[in-house]
Amino acid sequence: MIREPFKYRWLVLGALFILLATLPVWGSDYMLLLGLLFCLYAALSQMWNLLTGYSGLLSLGQQAFIGFGGYTMAVTTSYYNINIWLSILAGGVTSVLLALFMSLFIFRMSGIFFAIGTWIFAEILLLWFSNWEYVKYGTGLFVKPPNPPSMTMIYYAALTMGVVALATVYFILRSKIGLGLMAMRDNEEVSASMGVEIFRSKLFCFLIAAFITGTTAGVLYVFQIFIQPYKAFAIDWTVSLVFIVIIGGIGTIEGPIVGSFIFVLLSQYLSEYGHISLLLLGIIAILIILVAPKGIMGTLQEKTGFELLSPRRLFSEEPM
Amino acid sequence: MDKKKMKKNVGTLNRREFVKKTAITAGSVYAASNFPNFIGSAQAASRDHILIGRPNPSTGPLAAFGEGTPWADEIAVDEINKAGGIFIEKLGKKLPIKIKTVDTQSNPTKAAEVASQLILKDKVDLMLFYHTPDTVNPISSICERFKVPAISLDSPLEPWLEGGPYKWAFHAFWSVEKDIVPVYTGIWDQIETNKKVGILMANDPDGVAWSEVFKKAGAEKGYELFDKGRFPYGLQDFSPFINDWKENNVEILLANLIPPDFITAWRQCQRLGFKPKVATVGKAILFPSVAEALGGDLAKGLSTEVWWSPHHPFKSSMSGVTAQQFCDRWTQDTGKIWTQPLGFKYAGYELAFDVLTRAASLDKEAIREAIAKTELETIVGKIKFNDQNYSRTPLVGGQWNKGEKFPWEIKITYNEPYPNIPKTGETFSM
Repeated sequence: MIREPFKYRWLVLGALFILLATLPVWGSDYMLLLGLLFCLYAALSQMWNLLTGYSGLLSLGQQAFIGFGGYTMAVTTSYYNINIWLSILAGGVTSVLLALFMSLFIFRMSGIFFAIGTWIFAEILLLWFSNWEYVKYGTGLFVKPPNPPSMTMIYYAALTMGVVALATVYFILRSKIGLGLMAMRDNEEVSASMGVEIFRSKLFCFLIAAFITGTTAGVLYVFQIFIQPYKAFAIDWTVSLVFIVIIGGIGTIEGPIVGSFIFVLLSQYLSEYGHISLLLLGIIAILIILVAPKGIMGTLQEKTGFELLSPRRLFSEEPM
Repeated sequence: MDKKKMKKNVGTLNRREFVKKTAITAGSVYAASNFPNFIGSAQAASRDHILIGRPNPSTGPLAAFGEGTPWADEIAVDEINKAGGIFIEKLGKKLPIKIKTVDTQSNPTKAAEVASQLILKDKVDLMLFYHTPDTVNPISSICERFKVPAISLDSPLEPWLEGGPYKWAFHAFWSVEKDIVPVYTGIWDQIETNKKVGILMANDPDGVAWSEVFKKAGAEKGYELFDKGRFPYGLQDFSPFINDWKENNVEILLANLIPPDFITAWRQCQRLGFKPKVATVGKAILFPSVAEALGGDLAKGLSTEVWWSPHHPFKSSMSGVTAQQFCDRWTQDTGKIWTQPLGFKYAGYELAFDVLTRAASLDKEAIREAIAKTELETIVGKIKFNDQNYSRTPLVGGQWNKGEKFPWEIKITYNEPYPNIPKTGETFSM
């Protein structure tokens, strides 16, 4: 059975985009901050979802690209006075180079070994950066661009990353590669025998995810101003991304968006509760997993067929 | 589903569909109308108080520093509000202060996020924050960005200055180079040794900064330093360090590390028979709980820096309570011995009170100017910000010994840089 896609999906998406794009005009400063965090987390979690939810590459090392992209941006703009936006792009490029280097080792592993491989790489980077005089060891770096951008400019950079991440995932999944990826995720051997180019498809996704994660991290640290290796390369990042994608709905394009929205609101609201904030976040995650094991969007899709952006192309004229 | 059925449904609206759609619309309208209330609640509040933002490391590895924050907050806020608060010229009346505490989880990323939240959502008038570069550095930068007056204490000056020049952020504490080095080498000089120093420092901002500064300054003062490099948190085997010191006949230990690592390392020193004559240990043995946790007599004779104690001859600018009386009150209320951060937690409010009183305004620029002109005798000493927006606070040296009231007490044994802080004991060789 195939369901017709939600009729007004482009209208809803267009409205959401216009709402976000005009946020600096109608929203308060605080809503701008929420919008900024929402876009950044949506972009980062979209990439984790692309790797884990669609390509079957369980990555526990997204923080490697977050730290690497962030440090590249901080070093190029603070040490060499390079334009802040170019520095952010540079962070994406160095992240791709890092991903290429990592792939030499970790693409020989699969499943849980791949996951551990990515994590170990992130830990190696943490040790390296915290022992590297050039980046002032573990002391951390202040991001001092020649022309500090305003909050509105940082917000638009974040929005761009959110939209680019969403569009990238959408178009990859609806392409031939995407079909291959999902086949590969469900059964690697069978898909290989049917002609899916496993290594190339995986590497392609891994590099795309590295680029967008690294670039998004650059925007994130422009907002943060201060970067320090112990937190930039910390597994906490991936834990947050897993939380977002799991509660939103793994393997759905809308999942990371809904998850990021909930995560940002919750973490803002709960920060006032000190000791119990993390406990509450955990309880909420457990409850959602119990009630809706496929995440909010995944369960909604299963129960009602509601889907804003489908990774599947619909051949409505042809009988299935 | 065949095509006929699907077509039939399109365009028609049966009862069930109608109920469903109405419910969804009503629900979303309700949610949308409530949404601004949820995120914008604090903005609507009229000016019936002055709001001070207090990002605090309540959880995570810095939680030991955060201990005592609610206690000191309560005392200080009570003192300020007892007399009706602070007079604001424009309103022609006194406003009480309120504080809003949020948890940074000891994480600089989270700290920047919650500080932005305090500024943009709660619209704080002044930001007050303490404890280590992980808290102080990111929040100072965020306050600079949003042009919010900020006062911070309790974090070494050098890492904070990296983020400068500052316009809106002000900071008071001691410097590693100008304060720690003279105090530590001063303690070493009090004991007859062969001037051979073994370095044991963690790979963190403090460990890295201290080892660099000491290697330069120690050599200038004629000390020979033995450094096997920085080590990661949680190291279980310190024997390579200890054996190196034993081979080189080291008599002075210089350390900066976190408490659990020092406990492991110091126990191994005893087991392997390394007994230095002097041991100056930064950070790890600031708190009496750690001296106790070492077990046996292991804390006896360990030296450390003292930024504040009940013996400091200072008193509160708000209530006139002396450092000694303040510590007694802490012991009375909690049954615990005083700790060094206590005075600084309170001093932050002295500064806030003084600044806001002089500004007599809620205008951010007026508050900033008032901070810049601060010259106040607080419970931690005199604070007067220079043109780089910082003020150095006094630092002396102390040594742990068996106590009378509590199992372990720290005696002030070195006070040359600040002779007005009385010595309460003499440095003895371990």
